[in-house]
Amino acid sequence: MEYVIEMNHITKEFGNFKALDDVTLCVKKGEVHALLGENGAGKSTLMSVLFGLYQAEQGEIKINGKPVKINNPNDANNLNIGMVHQHFKLVHNFTVLESIVLGRETVNGGFLKMDEARKKVVELSEHYKLKIDPDSYISDITVGMQQRVEILKMLYCDNEILIFDEPTAVLTPQEIDELMKIMKNLVDEGKSIIFISHKLNEIKAVANRCTVLRKGKYIGTIDVETATRETMSEMMVGRKVNFNLDKAEEKLGNVTLKVENLSVVSKISHKKVVDDVSFEVRRGEIVCIAGIDGNGQSELVYGITGLIPLQSGKIEINGKDITKDSIRKRSLAGMAHIPEDRHRHGLVLDYTVQQNVVLQTYFEPRFQRHGFIRFDAVREYAKKLIKQYDIRSGQDENSVTRGMSGGNQQKVIIARELDRDPDIVLAVQPTRGLDVGATEYIHKQLIKQRDNGKAVLLISLELDEVMEVSDRILVIYEGEIVADLDPKEVTVQELGLYMSGSKRKIAK
Amino acid sequence: MKKQKFELSKGGKDFIASIAAIAAGLLFGLVILLFSNARQAFPAFGMILKGGFTDGLSGIAQVLYVATPIILTGLSVGFAFKTGLFNIGAPGQFTCGAFAAVYIGVKWTFLPAGAHWIVALLGALIAGAIWGMVPGILKAIANVNEVITSIMMNYIGMYLVNILIVKFVYDPVRNQSVPVAKTANIPKAGLDKLFNYSNINISIFIAILAVIVIYIVLNKTIFGYELKACGLSPEASRYAGINAKRNIILSMTIAGALSGLGGGLLYLAGSGKYLQVVDVLAPQGFNGISVALLGISNPIGILFAGLFIGHITVGGNNIQLYNFVPEVVDIIISTIIYFGAFALLIKSLLDRFRRRPSESGAVKEEK
Amino acid sequence: MDIIYFIVQQTMFFAIPLLIVALGGMFSERSGVINIALEGIMVMGGFFGIGFMHIFESRMSGQLLLLLALLVSGVTGAIFSLLHAFASINLKADQTISGTALNMFAPAFVVFIARMIQGVQQIQFKDTFRINKVPVLGDIPVLGPLLFQNCYITTYIGLGIAILSGIVISKTRFGLRLRACGEHPQAADSVGINVYKIRYAGVMISGALAGIGGLVFIVPTSTNFNASVAGYGFLALAVLIFGQWRTNKIIAAAFFFGIMKTFASAYSVVPVLRDLPISNEIYKMIPYIATLVILAFSSKNSQAPRAEGIPYDKGSR
Repeated sequence: MEYVIEMNHITKEFGNFKALDDVTLCVKKGEVHALLGENGAGKSTLMSVLFGLYQAEQGEIKINGKPVKINNPNDANNLNIGMVHQHFKLVHNFTVLESIVLGRETVNGGFLKMDEARKKVVELSEHYKLKIDPDSYISDITVGMQQRVEILKMLYCDNEILIFDEPTAVLTPQEIDELMKIMKNLVDEGKSIIFISHKLNEIKAVANRCTVLRKGKYIGTIDVETATRETMSEMMVGRKVNFNLDKAEEKLGNVTLKVENLSVVSKISHKKVVDDVSFEVRRGEIVCIAGIDGNGQSELVYGITGLIPLQSGKIEINGKDITKDSIRKRSLAGMAHIPEDRHRHGLVLDYTVQQNVVLQTYFEPRFQRHGFIRFDAVREYAKKLIKQYDIRSGQDENSVTRGMSGGNQQKVIIARELDRDPDIVLAVQPTRGLDVGATEYIHKQLIKQRDNGKAVLLISLELDEVMEVSDRILVIYEGEIVADLDPKEVTVQELGLYMSGSKRKIAK
Repeated sequence: MKKQKFELSKGGKDFIASIAAIAAGLLFGLVILLFSNARQAFPAFGMILKGGFTDGLSGIAQVLYVATPIILTGLSVGFAFKTGLFNIGAPGQFTCGAFAAVYIGVKWTFLPAGAHWIVALLGALIAGAIWGMVPGILKAIANVNEVITSIMMNYIGMYLVNILIVKFVYDPVRNQSVPVAKTANIPKAGLDKLFNYSNINISIFIAILAVIVIYIVLNKTIFGYELKACGLSPEASRYAGINAKRNIILSMTIAGALSGLGGGLLYLAGSGKYLQVVDVLAPQGFNGISVALLGISNPIGILFAGLFIGHITVGGNNIQLYNFVPEVVDIIISTIIYFGAFALLIKSLLDRFRRRPSESGAVKEEK
Repeated sequence: MDIIYFIVQQTMFFAIPLLIVALGGMFSERSGVINIALEGIMVMGGFFGIGFMHIFESRMSGQLLLLLALLVSGVTGAIFSLLHAFASINLKADQTISGTALNMFAPAFVVFIARMIQGVQQIQFKDTFRINKVPVLGDIPVLGPLLFQNCYITTYIGLGIAILSGIVISKTRFGLRLRACGEHPQAADSVGINVYKIRYAGVMISGALAGIGGLVFIVPTSTNFNASVAGYGFLALAVLIFGQWRTNKIIAAAFFFGIMKTFASAYSVVPVLRDLPISNEIYKMIPYIATLVILAFSSKNSQAPRAEGIPYDKGSR
């Protein structure tokens, strides 16, 4: 068996966290090999090891049968390995030609000799059918063309092994078809491609074989042509279900949050990242928006809470139109937000616990008088929340949140948001990076909100969490809601199919 | 409840880094002295360290006189730092404040004695506030970097004040501003007799009052809470609905007012100091940066940092006795600031030294 | 007509140092490091250059002395700027603080040394460099008196630096890589470029040019150096920003500011200006006000290098 790449028994740890646990990947020469898995499965980490960005604690890498050590991207490059990153590494005011030759310029006594470079670039572009305009500026060209520039960068330095990290995340459907054709061309020319993705359709369309990872472990390698989408989905998400939560029967009330025709446009790609989304959340229910990371759920929440502007659409809380309201006003209208990025948004990390618990309420009469902080009131409040939510830290209410564990930091945020007695809570990946105990606790809190007749909109990437906690599941794919499901009537495998775009219930 | 290992608080680490920077600066000053005149170096260095104490009470008064303006500009820069802004425009605000004070001091003689100097100081405050507001507005609305706009405002202020002095309060013989009315001078309240130094007046108390006010605003009010949040974590502040634009403008305005007040205090002291019509930026403004950095932007720290710099400045003046140049003090101060840049390095060394337990579970989640 | 010749000649004296220093700032900032220490570096460079002239003027004179002094100034500036480079690149310190420290240090240091060595802080030198008329070129009608009479070789050196800078930035490999480091250091790093090395180069070039600029500022306009460059370093920053970090616009901006400065100082001599109701102080203010206005309107479309001021951390991915 002619393997061009062998990564054998790779283990990569970050502190106590095992990102990769005894993973093996073997890629044949001239094949398109897909790397499939959910978020956190370890796909990017594995490729970062191959590309020299990380070094594995255990395991070996062989290129064309010879064991090698890859300590940095230069080493990888010398072995003819190239990578197209998910976030392009292009200088906005360079031309296409300059971007391709950067780092490998042809010079004459220090002066750039662009004619030879141009000839080679044009030749490569025509040979591999990668349409580009050498003199356009990066900021002026489409994302599809930018990606072709990244591919040409690799071909210009004679890379033979090409890694694509979630390449279709930023492309339009037409551009995706183009890319699939380009990959086939490359392989016909003898290149080997590793293609990281979670989108089953695309893997089916272009890959020869597929290696599946789940939570850092190697699950298996399959032949794509003969495998079914169901099998692949099952391998990706697994069958086991972790928690059994006690949930009362749901008692639905009025509509608390109503979202109509919401669209958000990305400033970078000028593409719609949230595409005409409409849904409702009622009192007494937990609605979960499920989807793979990068399908628009973050932007949806930022749009609803006011952190980014909307292109179009309407938002109502308890029947009141808040579309044009400031962030503060929305908060006062009864919206609580447990943010995705707890360090950037959720906390002022250098503030203490007591300073953080009043971040949304410091201006209320109970905490200030004539502009002066009522320190006693704040302290008592913090103490109460610490006890109620079991927040653990070195100096209790005086602990600086930066030094606290992730779980306890999250508890501060949750305590603050839930104790405000909001009508609707937007909880975005609230249990990310937390241990089992903290996760269970947070789920209990969310369910308590719902049992008390409040509304919860949960955004999650964890299928277990989605299935167990929610009353209703909305699946988001490429910015659109593609399904409205009852967790009691859908299997995890089916859910995986919706999330990866293979199935849709709601017509476009 | 976790058993806490001996861990330095953030304030503790900052303090040590400050002390290290001061020590490094002083050491470098000593080396410079040694280089130029080894024999006299140590006595001169000692004189710098002794500062105002060399001349007893009047020396101490001199220290207070020198320290007062830079305590105010230090507060100005430090306050802006807390909000995440670098107020390098202190010299311009200082000069505008000084002019406003002098103008009112010279022209508004219709004011009764008790009120004249107070109104003049208020004018200084307002002039400085306006001068600080401009970079604030430009930053909040047009996202222009406040460092460059402040530098521009420094020069515009300097030239503008020169024009205005010539037009309104000019002494053509000495090319400076005319003396202000006696009623505009800040009262001495007997301090000059007490300390046997004619330039001292109650302005040190005004400075201390400013320190207290700023301390209260920063630490006891919700306004201060918002400002600090904006400076520490602009994203989280946005998330919490805090109006960052408004706070930027207010912060720069207050910072400007403080520097302006400093200018007023200096030029209303009746100490023979007049506004010169020269193209020179007020050094007290730049010294405010040193004071703020040394004082870790903490009002109380700034008070002591201002006194310290005043102290070694007076000491530096005294070493002319040994045929040394007082500029060595500026060398020391600028070296201290430069070593302030090493603060991060020192703090991370301290962290590694104490072996912080990896308690924060903020592990990087990998895709 | 004589007035116009005079104005052009004077403008050169004011514009050329601005041009040189602003171009230095361009190299630093386009590599990603903000350098507000240009003022301090000018003082250091000017001091050592003039000091060199003062020491050696008994042994040589004329253009050779000036050229050697320029070399000394440049080297001094480059070495002094290493302090800023180290703090900004290796220590990843706040670049504005490090720059401010150098600005405060330079004049104090320079006065100290001068007083130590010669008792007074002013350093005198003899002006043996003034070219009354360049042979042949100076006789060309119109152009001759405009550009080739009553001039200094520093003018031509300055223009040469401008042309060279433009070529280096846009037509050499170094220039390409430097620009990449200032806009998107991760992209540069990912193709194997050593961002740290390039940024060091950028800062040292700015140091060398600022040092030279300090000397070029003093020589045509006075016969002594008094530990100050009258804010030219900051004005050069304004020229850099006004010129949107691009060579050709910087040249235009430098001359615009130079003309304003000329009006300000030649105020009483030029009849047209004397009669206008604009005082000379206002001319001095115009460049600064102009910069503010430009900034206010163009910060959204600013062509500032995107990664400037942000220390590059190889580890952050």
